[in-house]
Amino acid sequence: MTGIIIISLIAIVILFLGLYKLDKAIVPLAVAALLAAITSYALAWNTNIYYFNNMLFVDNFAILFSILTIATTILILLLSPGYFEKISSNVAEYVALILFSLVGVLCMVSYNNFSMLFIGIEIMSISMYIMAGIRKKDLASNEAALKYFLMGSFATGFLLFGIALVYGFTGSFNLETISTLVMESGGQAAALFVAGILFMIVGMSFKVSAAPFHFWAPDVYDGAPSLVTSYMSSVVKTASFAAFIRMFIVAFAGVIHIFTPTLWALAAITIIVGNVIALYQDTFKRMLAYSSISHAGYMLIAILALGPDSGNAIFYYAVAYSIASVSAFAILIKVKALKNSESFDAFNGLAKNNPKSALALTISMCSLAGIPLTAGFFGKFFIFTIAINQGFYWLVGLAILNAVVAFWYYFRVIIAMYMKSPSSDEKIEYGFSYKLVLWIAAIATLLFGLLPGILSGLL
Amino acid sequence: MLQLIALVPLLPLIGFLINGIGNKSLSKSLVGIIGSGTMLLSFIISLGIFFELKNSEVSAHTFTFFDWINVGNFNLSFSFLVDPLSSLMLLVVTGVGFLIHVYSIGYMKHDEGFAKFFAYLNLFVFFMLLLVLGANYAIMFIGWEGVGLCSYLLIGFWYKNTSYNNAAKKAFVMNRIGDLGFLIALFLIFKTFGSISFNEVFTSAAKFTSGDPTLTTIAILLFIGAMGKSAQLPLYTWLPDAMAGPTPVSALIHAATMVTAGIYMIARSSIIYALAPIAMDIVATIGMITAVWAALIALTQTDIKKVLAYSTVSQLGYMFVALGVGSFTGAVFHLMTHAFFKALLFLGAGSVIHAMSGEQDMRSMGGLKKKLPITFITILIGTLAISGVPPFAGFFSKDEILAATYNHSMPMFIVMSITSVLTAFYMFRMLFLTFYGNFRGTNDQASHLHESPKSMTIPLIVLAVFSTIAGFVGLPEVFSEHHALKSFLSPSFVFTNGRFSFEAASHVVEYSIMGVSLVVVALVYIYAQKRFAKDVYLLPVDESKMTLMQRLSYRKFYIDEFYENLITKPLDKLSTFFYRVIDKSGIDGVVNGLGKITMNGSKNLRTIQTGNTGFYIFSMVVGIIIIMLLNFILS
Repeated sequence: MTGIIIISLIAIVILFLGLYKLDKAIVPLAVAALLAAITSYALAWNTNIYYFNNMLFVDNFAILFSILTIATTILILLLSPGYFEKISSNVAEYVALILFSLVGVLCMVSYNNFSMLFIGIEIMSISMYIMAGIRKKDLASNEAALKYFLMGSFATGFLLFGIALVYGFTGSFNLETISTLVMESGGQAAALFVAGILFMIVGMSFKVSAAPFHFWAPDVYDGAPSLVTSYMSSVVKTASFAAFIRMFIVAFAGVIHIFTPTLWALAAITIIVGNVIALYQDTFKRMLAYSSISHAGYMLIAILALGPDSGNAIFYYAVAYSIASVSAFAILIKVKALKNSESFDAFNGLAKNNPKSALALTISMCSLAGIPLTAGFFGKFFIFTIAINQGFYWLVGLAILNAVVAFWYYFRVIIAMYMKSPSSDEKIEYGFSYKLVLWIAAIATLLFGLLPGILSGLL
Repeated sequence: MLQLIALVPLLPLIGFLINGIGNKSLSKSLVGIIGSGTMLLSFIISLGIFFELKNSEVSAHTFTFFDWINVGNFNLSFSFLVDPLSSLMLLVVTGVGFLIHVYSIGYMKHDEGFAKFFAYLNLFVFFMLLLVLGANYAIMFIGWEGVGLCSYLLIGFWYKNTSYNNAAKKAFVMNRIGDLGFLIALFLIFKTFGSISFNEVFTSAAKFTSGDPTLTTIAILLFIGAMGKSAQLPLYTWLPDAMAGPTPVSALIHAATMVTAGIYMIARSSIIYALAPIAMDIVATIGMITAVWAALIALTQTDIKKVLAYSTVSQLGYMFVALGVGSFTGAVFHLMTHAFFKALLFLGAGSVIHAMSGEQDMRSMGGLKKKLPITFITILIGTLAISGVPPFAGFFSKDEILAATYNHSMPMFIVMSITSVLTAFYMFRMLFLTFYGNFRGTNDQASHLHESPKSMTIPLIVLAVFSTIAGFVGLPEVFSEHHALKSFLSPSFVFTNGRFSFEAASHVVEYSIMGVSLVVVALVYIYAQKRFAKDVYLLPVDESKMTLMQRLSYRKFYIDEFYENLITKPLDKLSTFFYRVIDKSGIDGVVNGLGKITMNGSKNLRTIQTGNTGFYIFSMVVGIIIIMLLNFILS
């Protein structure tokens, strides 16, 4: 809770800093505030406190996801010096918007009341609509923002309608009250209630970019500035999943069996669509966009196979995915700056002139592909384990087949880096904070790939 | 000292790490000091352990360092067993190892891969010590595989030469065949006894009845492992080829230590063999055939190292015969003396090769006696030792084996005796061809002839001393009431003691064996001197002029060609078939086909991403409608 307050206040302070042209102080201040927020969350471990008339409930689940999203935001902010000045003169607004959207994220991962969920999503989304279009004079950026906004509003409508229907049936927005009612009904649910939950699933599916509600994602990811894309694909996605699964863990656990076919189909279609379309992409960035759709499919499996370990599995997957995705985008930004291209060819021979960057990207690709000794392997491993324990053999089989397909496009960039010859001898220059991020990402990926016990027992 | 046991293998490992990592940056003298120094320290600790064990009441100590694998009912701890047998092996490995390290400083002085060589050598010793010290079959197996790897690396040390690489590959592949036997034996042991630690396995094995089929199977499988590592028929052909490695490697790995791992393993598992008489017979028979077979080949070889290689195969045969007839002490005794004199002979041969600027063909040597006096005398001692002349070391150990076979079966005794005559013959042939007569090499070689540096001759002298006196630890009963080695080793054979009682050969037999061997060696000496010292008899260069026996021996009984045609070529053909037909058109076809289908899917599917927001929203609505239908109409 203190975290939310710190971040909100500092975001406002940063707006003022922008006004007085103190651009240099913005990122350090933001990072310091975020570190303070992480500390305040860490101190709240195991305390389980309710805030605002039970609207927020900061339990361990909320704390873990809060820390993960804040930490990822720190990594992204550390990448921003030098990047953002180039595309916009309003650096302060950019950082402030990120922090505001982070406040929304923090509400989303700790909500205990559906109105709070809605508020959180709106705080986050509206910031994101602006961020996607922050390159004011760039057509693609504008188009991305507009598309995101139009379709996002459409989806939010469904979410809100769903919440209303659930309220209509239960008379409450409070997750625990709803849960008690669901338990009392003994697994039976009225059509109105089911429809409400279905609409909420639709709304959340849009936010996590599950097929067939994923269409916005490739266009928006592609059109938005890369650093914003990396924020969307890591922090926003993690938060949406945390909110999605929290809804089922706390409120609807008693009736999840009713939605098994729906969630099953959503997961399967998402995995297939994301993976298969990613195969045919020419640019690295668009490939990452589609791959992020397929990752959403894998994480949906954990919601489908809801159980005591689901939260943990999603958390592990989100950690692995966020870290790998940040480092992939970080290198993409540098390569684009160097070659002015985001295609796979731009990576040709990267290993020759920039062996460390190539290695970092290789580790990140291996983690996304789920190769053992990287965090991504255990992310998939935990999710598949709970799914198999609940008997979803076909879905896991399909997911594994798709994971194999994914090797093709993840390794495409590795092959380009190591086996093709470079077109020029230019070296990528990294600032200190940039290097720091890449090192942290590589080490964390390997560490969580070697010692999964560090994180897996927390929930 | 016993507490320092972990240091014994650890020191060479540290040496390996320093020399391996500092490869380029360390000076040659520093590399030599690190390589040999770690070995010397290991040797000193081993010596301390040996004496502590000798004077202590408790004969076996198990040191557990950590629990390694704990899965279900399978518990494997990383632990060492220090008992008389392993402590004796420690002395041989570290002692001979140290001398050979020192020798290598001189021998490899001009090689660019100096540091790499010492790193490999140290790594080898580390694995060999693991093999010897392991308190269960798994640690032994790790050492077993590790020494195989190092052997491979060192045979192919001069990797730029393709035939050396082929020799290395051959050694590796042949050893794998044996290793498979060992590995299956290991599984079977676990299945039968529920454990692979020596203590538990042997204690429960001792309760089995003799001739139990499971034990027999285990024994035979273990022996297959030993056949590979210790170069017995039919898996011996890699050892002569392994001579491609630098000579110190041949001395350390392919004469003194690694190739005796099979002997050690069977001696260690003595109880399993004692209860499997059929396996014992197989071991003895294979050992006997190998001994005489290799000795026959050695008769006509012209490469000095090849003679010694076949001699090693033959002597290993002796040891297996000893194991097969139940004289475990005899086998270990011969293992030890053989380590001394064979290392000596190889290092001596290395000294000759060094002096001859790399020439290994004895037809180009001759008359080196005056130029290389120390090498000559030490090789002479080695020759006398291996030929079984009393009082040199080889006599006593060979005598013990012969006495054991005499008790066991007469035909075997006769064959082994003949083999020992052959041994004397080919060794003196080598001695005379190399050191007597006139020099037959080029003038260039003649001008370079020189005695080797001190770092090479001192190890030779030390080994010569041991080759002379090492036999006294196992004096036969005719001279002494007390067989020192037997009583020292007996705690290691606690389960088998008394199962095979050899009546001590009567004094008449003992003296006659001694007398006969002296006379035979003397006769061989005179004959060999006549034929080889005068340059009159050299093997005809033209094969068509050879007699049938000569040609068979010279061509090594065509065994390599036999393997080539019977095994390698059909395998190659099969491999080509699988590659061309099954893999290329079958498997690749399916894989590529699936890939194409997926790619086409991708190509078509991606066209739905039109960029048109209206279409996107339309698709979302269709999705929602389907979800609603799915939940409300269909269910």
